[in-house]
This record gives sequence, C-alpha cells and structure tokens, in this order.
Amino acid sequence: MRETTVKPNRGYGRWTPFWFLAPAVLTLFVIGIYPTIFALVTSFRQYNIARPREGFPFVGFDNYINVLSDSTFWASLLLTARFYITVLPIQLVLGLIIALLLHKPGLGLLKSLARVVLVVPLATTYAVVGLIGRLIFNREFGVANQFLDVVGIGGIDWLGSQGGAFAAIVIMDVWQWTPFCALILLAGLSMVPGEIEEAARLETRSKLAMLRYVQLPFLLPSLTAILIMRSADVLKLFDMVFVMTRGGPGSATDLVSIYIQRVGFRIFDLGTASAQAILLLILTILISRLYIRVLYREVN
Amino acid sequence: MKRFLKHCVSAFALAAATLAVPAAASADWLAEAAKPLKGTEISGIFLDRPGYRAIIKLLPEFEKRTGIKVNYEIVPYENTREKEVLNFTSRGDLTMALVDLVWIGEFAENGWLVPVSELAKDKATTDPNLNLDGFFPLLLNAFGTWGGTVYGLPFDNYSGLLFYNACKLKEAGFDKPPATWEEFATAYAPKLTDASKNQYAYALQSLRGETQSADSFMRFLWPFGGSLLNKDFKSNLMSEGSQTGLKFRQDMLKYMPPGVVSFDHAEAVNALAQGQVAMITEWSAFYNTLVDPATSKLGDCLAVAPEPAGPAGRLPALGGFSLAVASQASPEQQKATWLFIQWATSEEIAKAYVEAGGVSGRMAVYKDPDIKAKYKFVEPMVASWEKGVPEYRPRFPAWPAISEVVAEWGSKIELGQVSPEVGSKEIGTRMEAILQKEGYYDGKKKLLQ
Repeated sequence: MRETTVKPNRGYGRWTPFWFLAPAVLTLFVIGIYPTIFALVTSFRQYNIARPREGFPFVGFDNYINVLSDSTFWASLLLTARFYITVLPIQLVLGLIIALLLHKPGLGLLKSLARVVLVVPLATTYAVVGLIGRLIFNREFGVANQFLDVVGIGGIDWLGSQGGAFAAIVIMDVWQWTPFCALILLAGLSMVPGEIEEAARLETRSKLAMLRYVQLPFLLPSLTAILIMRSADVLKLFDMVFVMTRGGPGSATDLVSIYIQRVGFRIFDLGTASAQAILLLILTILISRLYIRVLYREVN
Repeated sequence: MKRFLKHCVSAFALAAATLAVPAAASADWLAEAAKPLKGTEISGIFLDRPGYRAIIKLLPEFEKRTGIKVNYEIVPYENTREKEVLNFTSRGDLTMALVDLVWIGEFAENGWLVPVSELAKDKATTDPNLNLDGFFPLLLNAFGTWGGTVYGLPFDNYSGLLFYNACKLKEAGFDKPPATWEEFATAYAPKLTDASKNQYAYALQSLRGETQSADSFMRFLWPFGGSLLNKDFKSNLMSEGSQTGLKFRQDMLKYMPPGVVSFDHAEAVNALAQGQVAMITEWSAFYNTLVDPATSKLGDCLAVAPEPAGPAGRLPALGGFSLAVASQASPEQQKATWLFIQWATSEEIAKAYVEAGGVSGRMAVYKDPDIKAKYKFVEPMVASWEKGVPEYRPRFPAWPAISEVVAEWGSKIELGQVSPEVGSKEIGTRMEAILQKEGYYDGKKKLLQ
C-alpha cells in the first residue's frame, strides 16, 4: 500500500486569517471606530469650529451636564420616543401581514414581483422620501388631500399643523420601512420547517393558532433584529424629516437627530453635539441589550 | 494715535485706488491684469437662484478674456454656511467666499476674508473703474462691511417687496397697493379674503428655519418701531414696538391660507402665482419666477411695490450676498479671485447681469431707461434701498444660534401655542444666554451688529 503524505499548504500560515480580515477591520476602524473615538474625545472639549480662535480646551463633563440639563434635548428625545412607539407597531403589523401573504404557497411569479417592489421604498434616498412627502402632503395640490376629498373629508393642513406634520412624517416612515419589516419577517417565516407547518395544518385550521404556536417562535430572532435596527434608525432619522418640516412647525417634528444636527452644524458646537451623540449611542446599546435579553430566543 | 493714522492711511489708499479713474486706463484692463494669472483655477459656491444662473450665463466671457478657470459648486442655501465653515477651518480649496449678510461678522472675525483695502493695494489687479461709491451704500455696508472694513462686494442683492395681483385688487375696488400696514389690515385684507372660495389677501412665508426668523418674525419688528436688541444688546422684544409688530403678525393670520407656518419661499410665491392670494412680501429675486408663464398665471396682473410702511416708517426686509476673497487661497488665486469678483459686480456688466436675471448692487444700471421700463421691480427696489437698516438681522457671529431660537419660538407664536408675550420672553432669555456666553456682556466683545 502506497503511503500518502499531506503536504503543508505553502500559502497558508499563522498570519493568513489576519490578512483576510485586515481590510474589513481597517475599514471598520476608519469609518466606524475612529469617528466614535473622535466624538468621545470631542465631547470632553469646548469645540466650536466656527470659533477657532477660542481654541478647544478640555472641559471635563461640562458638555454632558449641559446636555442633561437642556430641556430642548429632553423634549426632542421624548418626541423621538413617541415617534418610535407610533411607527413601530404599524410597521410590524403591516410587515407581518405582507410577509404572511408572501409566505402562502402558490402564485410564484406575483410573489417574486412583490418582493422586488418591496425593495423600492428601501432603495429610495431619505431626502427624496422627504421631497415626495412635501408634495404628497401639500395642502392645496397634494395627493393626500385630493384622496381625502374623494372620500368626503375636508382638506387637512398636514404640514402646517402640529398633529398633521407629525402624522405626515409617521406615514412617510411607515411607507419606507414597512417593506424592510416584511422582508425580514419573511426570512424568519422561511426558517419554519415545512413538515412542522404541514403537521400543524392537520392539527388546526386556525391561522392565528398557527401563527402563535408554530411561526412566532421562529420569528423572534427576526423581530429582535427589526427592533434593534429600527431603534438605531429612528434615533438617527434626519434627512426625511428635515426636508419635509425642518423640525417644525414649532417643535412638532423636532426629533433628537434634527436637534443634534442643529447644534453641530448650525451652531457648530461640536463638543455639545458629540456629547449628545455619545449619550444616544449609549441609549441605543442599552435598548439593544434589553431587546436581546427579553425577546431573543433560538429555536431548536 | 498710531492706530488711527494707520486706519487713515489704509482708508486713503483704498479711496485712492478705487475712486480715481486713471486717464490712461487700459481698454481691456481685465485681460491685461489677468495675463500673469492665465490658467489659474479659482473656486466658489453658488446657489440655485436667478443671480447665480445669470453669472453662470456670463461666465464664458470672463474665462475667455482672462484665461482664469472658475469652478463652482451649486449648493442649497441651508447647507452653504456649513460647507464654507468646514472648508475654511480645514484650509480647503475655496478661494472665494459667498457671504450672506448675516455671516459677515463670523467670517470677518475669524480672519477667513481678505479686506478689500489689502487687495486694492495691488493696482495691477484692481479695476480702475472699481468705484465702491457706485454701489448702493446700504448694500455695501450691510453685505460686505464689518467693523468699518470692507471685505466683500455686493453680488446677489435682495430687498423685500410687495408683489401683488393688480387685477384682484382692482376687482376689490383698489387701484393702488396698500401704502401702510394699517391700511393693509383695515381696508385691503378683509375685502380680499374669502375663505369659502380659498381666496386670501396675503401669504407670509414662515417655515421653521431662516425663513421663519428672517422673513416672518423680523419683518414685523422694525416697521413697528421694534427690534431684536436694544443698544446694550439686551432683548428688545418686550418693547411696545416689538410687541405691536408681533401681535399685528398674529392678527393677520386670518387673512392668510391655513398652514403658512409650513410655507417656504416656493409655497408663498406659488400661492400668488396660482391666484390663491392677492399679495406677498418676498425678495426681489423672485420677480423672474412670477413673470415666467411657465411658473405663473399672473401675466399682466403682476405688479410690484415697496413693502407697506409701519408706524416707524418703511423699513423693509433686507437680504443678500457679497463675494469676498478667501484668505486661505494662494496669492495667485487671491488675485484671480479678486479679478473675478470685481468683474462680476462691475458697472461694466451690470446691465447684462440684470438682463440675464440677476439683481445688481450698482446704482447706475437702474438709471438706464431700458431697464426701468422692462423690469417692474426696479423702482420699488431702488426706493427700498434708499433707506433701510443694515442690522435688519444682526450680522454678528451669534446670529445662527439666535436664529434657531427665533425660528422655534417664532413659529410656536404663530401656531398659537404661546402668546407673543410668552414667546418673546422665552426668545429674550435664551438669546441673552447666548450673548452672555459669547462675551458681549463682560466687555470681551464690542457691541457690533
């Protein structure tokens, strides 16, 4: 019997994994970690780039104290929480309905087409969504009021009233992000083994029971992902709202990201803006940890 | 004394360089001056507005005569200051500053602009017909001057004007526009408003941002004898004049379309252009939009007048931009940029600039009978520029922060969320905190606005 010897691969060494990982790690460092460290350092300085002659002295926790005692910051954070609590349930319910429809057997071509169409709102730039929103909700010429006229409801002053403006940004966010929820939930539904679904169908004809006891456990990881990603998205939602309302009227749509942008790039107080951003980062991490602890379950 | 003498000498040098017209001025001084600078590239920021489209139209002539390449980026107004500040602090590539009148204090105090007196020292690159006295003094003072030093030349110039639909006014029995705000409120507005037919007398652009602070809130302070600050830089919003003006604005809301707090310039102009309102007070630069049949139904019904006067007189909104040489540019680029700015704001091209859609800051061009006859906005605009307040909006570096406060609370007042008194008190408190931090109350900074 001929003995075979395994020759060591000459191209593979101790450092090979390092070289494969290096570009990704370097990119992450440049575009993610370095700016975060910079923001952290800046948050401890008086850093107004429109006042270069005043220098950038170290001020300890002054910026954080200013932020935490700033009533406008808290008001905008609460408004952001209200926005999040409003949009998320709508997006989850609509997303789940769409996902369940697409998960039903049959109608292959239509379902493929629907999946492609779902990507369109996601691929639309936020600023463009804002522009579309401005047109849709124009009091005189907008489609929203034309439609309401048809069903007999008088013209609503969408962007000129507090409730209307808030509702308008909610509708545009739901339009843009419901497909995202639908696609993620659809991916979750595709994880349910076919034989379990078949067996369940023989046991019950109730679709609600099927959803509750068979499909929902498989949807929990998707749900956790949606909650984490949407939390981060809502906290940094800027372009669409800025284009539609600039945070107004009054402070009806003054979300925390709009406020931070104003402090950072209108007043150029980057020290305070960085402190605000770091506090939001901490908040996002805490919320994410909470979701993972409470919701996330692996299905065996 | 030494400082005084220095100022006198530089003022004299500037005057000598700019006012004197050498008898033997070159037929094409620009081409001569640009010879050593051929191939130099300069860059600046333009807006998507008629004045910039006009200069872009004329630009090939400048490039052909000088061999200097002008690079420009068109940026929305809301992002312009951000772009410029970031560029200047990072020693970027801009050789020319586009300076809104409310940025002049910030840009000048940070040393980002080269004073005109410095540039004018070089006779080889200074137009023998520069003639600073040929600009409307109000514009040169408000747009280009800070602390007595001229930095920029008025380029894109606006005055608040009353644009109105003369046909609607005639139908309502008026053969001329309102001369005062009181006349406007008591006679014109009630007759021109019929909410059941979606017809309103007036639209005031009030979207949160600079539109709210500059176009809506400030517009009703000065003509009523009010102002943002008193001479000690404390809030003057609780004064009788300021409160009368703000209450007047509030009273006028019933004659405006619902939702004006969401109206930007485009919506207000459109409301007049499409026949929803009879009058708007807007910048002169929107004249071309209102006469263009593609964007306006007004046709011959469009008429223009100065803004109505208040109890304190006619003190209309003032706005506009100057062009200045950026100190970060190389010496060659500074010279080339200086040539471009002189050319773009010169009397020589003023007529062509106006005909291409711009609004020149030169007085001479508006004496031209052709221009007077062709452009209805000229006479009221010139009348508005005869008298006005350069500090219509304070031009110090603290304005952007104050503008945000005014924008937020100004729109809350308009929405009826707070009364003019409560809103004014809130603005005053926050504004004084900003000014305190800036060092205006402890003598660290001169009370310049």
